[in-house]
Formats: sequence, structure tokens, C-alpha cells
Amino acid sequence: MTAGATPPAPGAAEAGAPGAAGPRALAWRRRRASAVRFWRQYRTRRAGLAGLAALVLFALVALTAPLTVGSGVAGVTDAPGGPLEAPSGEFPLGTDRFGRDLLGLVVWGSRVSLLVGLLAAVLSVVIGAVVGVTAGHFRGVYATVLMRITDWFLVMPALVLAIALATVMSRSLGTVVLAIGVTSWPTTARLVRAQTLAVESRPYIERARALGGGHWHVMTRHVLPNVMPLVLAQTTLMISSSILAEATLAFLGLGDPTVISWGGLLQDAREAGAVSAGDWWYLLPPGIAIAVVALAFTLCGRAVEAVLDPRLGVTR
Amino acid sequence: MSPQAQHSARRPHPNSSRLRAPRPLAAAGALALAFSAVLATPLDPLTRQASAATGDKVLTVAVAQSVDSLSPFLATRLLSTSVQRLMYEYLTDYDPGDAHPVPGLATKWTASADKLTWTYTIRSDAKWSDGQKVTAQDAAWTFRKLMTDQAAATANGNFVTNFRSVTAPSPTQLVIELKKPQATMTALDVPIVPEHIWKDVPDFSKFNNDTKFPVVGDGPFVLTGYKADSYVRLRANKDFWRGAPKFDELVFRYYKDQDAAVAALRKGEVSFVAGAPALTPAQASSLDGQKNIRVNDAPGRRFYALATNPGARAKNGRKFGDGDPSLLDERVRHALFLAVDRKTIIDKVFQGHAVEGQGYIPPRFATYFWKPSAGQALGYDPAKAAHLLDQAGYRKNADGRRVGKDGRPLNYRVLCHATDPNDKAVGQYLREWWAKLGIGMTLDCLDNVTDPWLAGKYDLAFDGWSVNPDPDYVLSIHTCAALPATPKDTGPTDNFVCDRTYDDLYDRQLAEYDPAKRATVVKQLESRLYDLGYMNVMAYPNAVEAYRTDQIASIETMPEAAGNIYGQDGYWSWWSAVPADSAGSSGGGSTGIVVGVVAGVVVLAGAGVFLARRRRATADDRE
Repeated sequence: MTAGATPPAPGAAEAGAPGAAGPRALAWRRRRASAVRFWRQYRTRRAGLAGLAALVLFALVALTAPLTVGSGVAGVTDAPGGPLEAPSGEFPLGTDRFGRDLLGLVVWGSRVSLLVGLLAAVLSVVIGAVVGVTAGHFRGVYATVLMRITDWFLVMPALVLAIALATVMSRSLGTVVLAIGVTSWPTTARLVRAQTLAVESRPYIERARALGGGHWHVMTRHVLPNVMPLVLAQTTLMISSSILAEATLAFLGLGDPTVISWGGLLQDAREAGAVSAGDWWYLLPPGIAIAVVALAFTLCGRAVEAVLDPRLGVTR
Repeated sequence: MSPQAQHSARRPHPNSSRLRAPRPLAAAGALALAFSAVLATPLDPLTRQASAATGDKVLTVAVAQSVDSLSPFLATRLLSTSVQRLMYEYLTDYDPGDAHPVPGLATKWTASADKLTWTYTIRSDAKWSDGQKVTAQDAAWTFRKLMTDQAAATANGNFVTNFRSVTAPSPTQLVIELKKPQATMTALDVPIVPEHIWKDVPDFSKFNNDTKFPVVGDGPFVLTGYKADSYVRLRANKDFWRGAPKFDELVFRYYKDQDAAVAALRKGEVSFVAGAPALTPAQASSLDGQKNIRVNDAPGRRFYALATNPGARAKNGRKFGDGDPSLLDERVRHALFLAVDRKTIIDKVFQGHAVEGQGYIPPRFATYFWKPSAGQALGYDPAKAAHLLDQAGYRKNADGRRVGKDGRPLNYRVLCHATDPNDKAVGQYLREWWAKLGIGMTLDCLDNVTDPWLAGKYDLAFDGWSVNPDPDYVLSIHTCAALPATPKDTGPTDNFVCDRTYDDLYDRQLAEYDPAKRATVVKQLESRLYDLGYMNVMAYPNAVEAYRTDQIASIETMPEAAGNIYGQDGYWSWWSAVPADSAGSSGGGSTGIVVGVVAGVVVLAGAGVFLARRRRATADDRE
């Protein structure tokens, strides 16, 4: 979880001697140790490592796209090739209907697909976590109402809801992020609520309350850190479904047609008649890219889940 | 619509303001559409098997447009008006060869010396499909209905605005008296309906003619079934006066996805694919040369244009909508014209399956085709465009964007049809061309463009009409008279153009009986429209369509040399189609089902094996 930078608390850095560390420094040390432990366990999972490697690769490709292919690859007026050329030395993956280099487009499209996937997943998990933690904490009428709303969203087919949202709002990336985020949070909310209930029944929460801890204190200091692993695993898994949802919406023509994304490329291919014409190079690369990224996120998510959940940990 | 120019797929036209759906409903409609996209192709309705069992020859046409209405008084879309042509005979038809008026329901027609009284002789050998005779009284009743009932005039009202009276002195004689001379008297594209059926219709604005089948008609086919966004089924009228059609049944089957329609053609499930509005270049080239398939690539009767919002207004003078005020400046409009490289659009987007746009009327109608003189033409010239914008006061700021005097950068919203790939493709080119000029552009691709269009809430929009041999209708939609009465109403206007000079020329051509003189005035009209810069005709797309030669032995194109088959100005293609020996077999459908079942079994078996293996693996692990 907190595998990233762990800035030492001021006290710890100066104290030097471990024994003299304050409670804050102790907490940081504990976190660092658990991060190392997490990584050690994660390393043992080959599928998780493979997923991680694929993700790093895709992230690099997406981040360096402005240097490698440049935004000019999306331009139609100065497209280098003829329409729908088969793969060749000049265009390793052929060209699209405008004569643009498909390899460049797939690379450039990774930026939008990954960005939308990440943002939508984060939005969805944030909504889910807030709903779940508050519903688990406050109980009563508030929780009942909130959970019935969650149930309603849970039974609604998410794709239909997302299509409806994307249709009524203007066509932009923000709309797609919102449409996916707003429709995919209920699972997270349910999971987080269950975990919150479990955490809140522990004696130390009661002790914190007795010592005068308010709602905010209990939720942020005690409940949230305990549900964080779950949230993290859920986010990783959610990203892959968000990327798929983005591709679906773009494929259905509900994205911004002037933005290059993998789903949008598939939609272009369909509209150009590439399916019946058998121009496979127009369809396969974006399709495979979507599948690989979704798989990579799923592998990572599963590995994280297994490491953090001891019950899953023993089986594999 | 009106027969003069049917709406093609591009701009679904509403029938009337009363029928305009509120937004949520529109959204739901879009949703439903999107859904059908998810579900891909319609499952083979049982129509085919059922009819094949009786040994009928069935001609199945894959179409991509949905029917707006089957009532001849409301239908405006190309598919719907084509079906009207098949269901009801008109007074006159267009010759399939050169489109001159030929006898339809009327065998001959004469005009009085002042050309204000027209007498038509109605044929006595025509019968309605319920056995009653077709009389002049039916025609008189139809025209009088158009003149007296506002709701009935929705589609074809433009033909009768000049009519003083319509009478039927005898069953074979129809007399029309005019207020002013009218050049379209031999091209009255109005379906004549049976009075004894239609006189009981209470509200013409709501009746869609789809409640009782078969629908009584006198055309070459009789409508026997219809399911929205699924199919339109017609049976051959064996008693048709011109001769019975060779096929027994004609089915227009709806395919939302064009690739699915092409796949159905390859497998023989459909006999004919009418593109939406044309097959894509990739589809055409992949079908070309295939066994038993013929691709018909012919000059089309449509134009494909970019329409400018000149500030939407109603006849009562009220302005509405939110069109960009900078577009009121002719120099700005011309600059936008000059920044469009039509040749690139033809080469890249249409890949040669279109002719470069010039005047308003496609070159196929040679009589009325006009092209700008060298000094007048607004060809691709970005430098001149930039100069014009500078003159108009829109100079580039530090960021390279054109700003008006109010300091606001120019940014246009372009309305595009989400269903038409060409709109999106051309839109991308426009965006880059205009960006070089310093003009921003947002492409608004919607499933339902009708609502913002009628409300005037757009700056520019992709537009297109199918033109009839008599161009009156496509010309009439740019007159002031076509504007809606109030902002709440719907008028036949295309994009709210209202220009006095244009209107005067329009009236002159309508009153001109001499064909050559009329053509001259029509050309002046086109010239005026071109100079105004409201309609940038970018291309005349070809009709690219394909059919199976093992199902259709022969079919008539219109015009005969290099003409289209789907969406003709008449019923010639479907009426003349001759079945090949193997036509109407239901092999394709059942093969599809077999393949589907086999694939399903394979997938299930695979999943079963996978699960079993997994189960075994976990069992080991559990130990």
C-alpha cells in the first residue's frame, strides 16, 4: 500500500537512535516495514509481477508518447499514408481510414484510455469509499437510505446508465469519466461498508470513543486506515473495468469523436467498414491493447488482494 | 418532405412541432438506438422462412434508416417516401431514362391558354387493392385535404399553396385551377390516397397509416406489415395497371450496423444493401469482384453540404437560437468556405466515390446544374480566407486565435450526425483547416440533431438532401416563406435562410413554364445562394450499393445509364427487378442459426472443460 516514498517524521530523523523515536516515527517505521513485507509477498506472485511489468511498460509508452510519436500523429490533413494500407515497413500496423499510422495512433490512444480508466476508477472508488465508510459508521436511517440507493445502482445495468448519462451530457472526456465513475461505485460501497462494520465492532474503537474521539476522528484515524487495503485492491481491479467501459462507450460512439482512444479507434474501424472488408490491422491492435491492459490491471489487483487478505493468501 | 427532395439519412426531419419529443424521451430514444447497436444485427425475423415455405420470390433490402411515418401526409425520409412511391401511384411519374414526366395515374394533361387551369385525364384501368376503382375524385379529395388541413400539408404542402380549387367533374377528369402559374404542375409528387379509406381519419398529424394491414393502395406493391426499426413488408400488387412486379414480396429490413448488412449480403440473407447513405469505400472495394455480387457505383442525386446558421428567426420576425453572430458577416462565411479543401474531402473521405461540390444541384440533373464562374468560385485558398477575416475585424491574437471586437475568440459548434461516419471524418478535416486559420471548432455529434437544429442552437451543421428531377422543393426550403410561423413552430426551412433577392428569383422560376428559361432562373438562384455563403456544397456523393446477382437477375437503374437503384424518383427499380432462379431461398438464415448453435456449443464445452480443470486444480490445492 504505502509502498512509495515514506518521508520520515522530523523527530525520527534527528533522534537517530531507534529507542528515542516518538510515536509518529514509530508509526512511520511500522508502515515502512509493512510496505517491505508487502513487496516481499507480492514478489512471490508471478502473475502479479507479470501484470506489473506490463503496466510499467504501458505507462512508459503513454508517458513518452509526446516524445516518440508526438501529437501530430492524430492530424488528418497531413496524414502520411493512403487510406487503409496494409502493414508494411513504413507502417508496421498499417494505416487507418485517413491514412494515419496506426501504430502511432495506438500509442497515442493509450494516453486517453489509461487516463480515463484511472480517473474513472478513482472517482468510482472515492464515491464507494465515502458511501461505504459513512454508511458503516453512522448506521440507522442514514445508512438504510444510503444502502437502498446503493442497491438501486447495483441492480441497474451499469452500461445502460452510463450510456444514458453520456447521451444527455456533452461529448467530452470529463463526461465519460463521470459516466463510468458514477455508475460503478456500488460494489465498492458494499465491500467497504462490510469492512467498516467489522472494524467498528473491535474494542479499540470503543476505547477511542470513550476517550472522546468524534465521528470524524474514528472514521479517518481508525476505520479508513483499516479499509485502505481493500480500497486499494478494489481500485486496481476497477481500473481494468473502467478501461473496458471507456472503450465500450467510445465504441458505441458516445465519446468525443475527435479524441484518439482505443475504443474510438475500434469505432472508427467499424464505421469505415473494416470489419466486413477484412482489414484486420485496423481492429486487432487497439483490441489487443485493451485486453492486455485490462488483464494487467486485473493480475495486479488480484495479487494485491491476495497479499492483503490473509484468507486468500494461503490458497495460492 | 415533399417529393421534390426527400430527406436523405442525413437530417431526420420532424413531422411537425406537435410531434416533437421532449428531451428525456429523445434521450430514451437515443438509448434505445445505442442498445440496438449493442445487440448488433436484428435476428432473422421469421418473415423469410414463412414466405420461403410457400415458394414466393422475396426481395430483401437491407436499409439503415428508420421509418418516420408511413402516412403519405407526414413521411419525409428517403425510405418512407420510397415506400410511398411503391404503395400509391402519383399523377405523373418520371421517366427512368431522362426523368421527363410520364403518365402515372393521369394518362394525359392539358393546360388552358393562361396556364392557370390544368385538366388531367385519370386512367380508368387502375384499381385500389380492395377492388374499388381509382377515380379523379380520390385525387381531388387528396389535394383538397392538403389545401384545407394544416396537418395534412406537413409533407407535401409546397405543391398546393398556389391552388385555387381542385374539382373532379367526372371519374376520369381532374381539374386544378391555380392562383398563379406554377411550373411543377407535371411533377406533382403527391401520393394519391383512396378517399373511402382516408376520409375517416380523425387527426392527420397523428395517424401514421400503420394500424390496419394490408394498407389499401394502388401502387406496384401493397404494404402488408411493418415493425418499427425492424422491417417494412410489401406484397406485389398483381393487378397493377403497368404490370405486376416480378418478385412476390419486397422486404426492407432494418440494419443499424452497415457492416452487419454487408455480411448479410455476403451470406445471401439479403438481396440488396442500400448504404447509409452509401457503402463505405472499404466495403465497396471488398465486395467488388466477389462472386454473385454486383456493386453499383453511380452518380448520386444528393448533395452533401455544410449549412450555416444565419441567425434563426420565425416569420413573425422573432429571432431565436444561439447562432454565432460573427456568421452574419458574409466575409466570415466566405472565409470558412475558402478554408475547405473539397478535393481532399473527395479523395480522402469519399475516396473517389463522390464528385466535388460546386453549385446547389448535382450535375446529374444537367438541366439545372450550375457551377460558379472563375471569379465567383470560392476554392481552397487559406491565404485569402485569412485576409477576409482580417478585413472583417477578426485578427489573430498572441495565441494565434482569431478574436472579435469583443475579445472573444472565434469558436464554432458544428452539428454532426453521430450515425454518419462521413460527418465525423470531414469534421476532423474542418477542425484542422480552421485551426490553421485561428478558428476553434467543436464537433457536436448527436444521434438526434433535429432538436438543436430546429431550435437554431448551432453555428454550422452537416446537411444533405436528395434532389428530385424537378428541383422546386430543394429550392423552396431556402425561401422566407419556409420559415416557421413562430419560434415554437416547425417550418419546412432548411437552415433559416431568408433573402429577398432569392425569394424573387424563386417566385420567377416557379411561374416560368418555358423549361429553358426556367433553368436559367434556377441557375441564377443557385448563384445567389452560393454568393450568400450559407450553403457550402462540398460533395455530390455517389450512390454506392450492392446486390446479389444470384437473387436479382436484373434491376433497372435511374437514369438507365449509370443510375442509382435505391431511393429513385419512382418505383422503377423494385417494380422491374427480375428474380434469379435461386432467389428467395432461405438457406442463409438457417446456415446462420446452425453456425450460431455450433459456436454456442463449442463455447459452452470450452467453458466446461476450463471449469473442470480449474476445479481439479483447486481440489489439489485444497488438499
